[in-house]
Amino acid sequence: MKALMLGTAALLWLPSFLLLLYLLQVDLNYLFFLFKNISPYFWSALGISLCVGLSVVGAAWGIFITGSSLVGAAIREPRITSKNLISIIFCEAVAIYGVIVAIILQTKVEAVKPNEDGSFGLAAANAGYAILGAGSVTGWANLACGLSVGIVGSSAALSDAANSTLFVKILVVEIFASALGLFGVIIGIIMAGNASFTAQS
Amino acid sequence: MSTVSATVVWNGDQVAPLFGYLGAASALVFSCFGAAYGTAKSGVGIASMGVMRPELVMKSIVPVVMAGVLGIYGLIIAVIISTNINQTADKAYYFFDGYAHFAAGLACGLAGLGAGMAIGIVGDAGVRANAQQPKLFVGMILILIFAEALALYGLIVGIILASKAGTAAPM
Repeated sequence: MKALMLGTAALLWLPSFLLLLYLLQVDLNYLFFLFKNISPYFWSALGISLCVGLSVVGAAWGIFITGSSLVGAAIREPRITSKNLISIIFCEAVAIYGVIVAIILQTKVEAVKPNEDGSFGLAAANAGYAILGAGSVTGWANLACGLSVGIVGSSAALSDAANSTLFVKILVVEIFASALGLFGVIIGIIMAGNASFTAQS
Repeated sequence: MSTVSATVVWNGDQVAPLFGYLGAASALVFSCFGAAYGTAKSGVGIASMGVMRPELVMKSIVPVVMAGVLGIYGLIIAVIISTNINQTADKAYYFFDGYAHFAAGLACGLAGLGAGMAIGIVGDAGVRANAQQPKLFVGMILILIFAEALALYGLIVGIILASKAGTAAPM
């Protein structure tokens, strides 16, 4: 119920905001003025920082969820420690994906001279939005992936402590979960291919 | 504030790729959140159930596979959108295209989020119940298929919306 309300709010805030602007007779040329003067370097910086920041948050979240269950279960069954470090490594890989994509994105950022009125050319604006999209997609997808891998890894550790044949089977579930981070990286690389500040336009 | 002069070279459609890329991003991100929730919740159920009945674990991976498919749906729409955003001087990318892509991405993504939540909760309860009563397996699969169909509706609408881009009538 709460999720339903949150989802509706997330979807309806923008149209209600625009309706409010229309009713208040706000000059929408100012909104375009705002977008025109926001440098594409802001969008690209935001994208790159979200990419590495959110990926690391996802990895960290997964690591502490798995790690706390692992050390707790290992009190009674110390044999599970070395095998279940695989789950921790799956979470760490998520952070590595974020770092790789962030490094790729930052090589795309080149200095470009703006026009006389301060706006940027077509290629530069497109590149700014592309890097924002690529960074956000990788960051948020890795956040979800790290969280999911962490929860499944925690279950793997606890069930491994109870029954040692279960670890490999639960690992299959974890592999499905880690594929989500790879999807984010794929889309990030595809979008980054569109980004070029110095393309001829 | 100075008024917009006649020599400004910025014509507004430069902002349209923002909506396009945000649409592609939201397609994948929300689908991934749904897939992550489905995988994690079902995974916890499978692991708990497997302690008592290890032989049923491989059969109970079905909810996890169905949750993974949601990520694929988001990937499809995100690839379709992001390969169609090419803003060059001879091929314009209007606000029409930007909004169409934004709508396509949100449609597919949020549908995947909802379907993932459904698959997770049904999968968790289903595998635990299947361990106690084996006749429930077919019933669990049927419910999971209905939940997966929700994400498929989002994919269909997303593809239809994304195909509208590029059909704008220029002024």
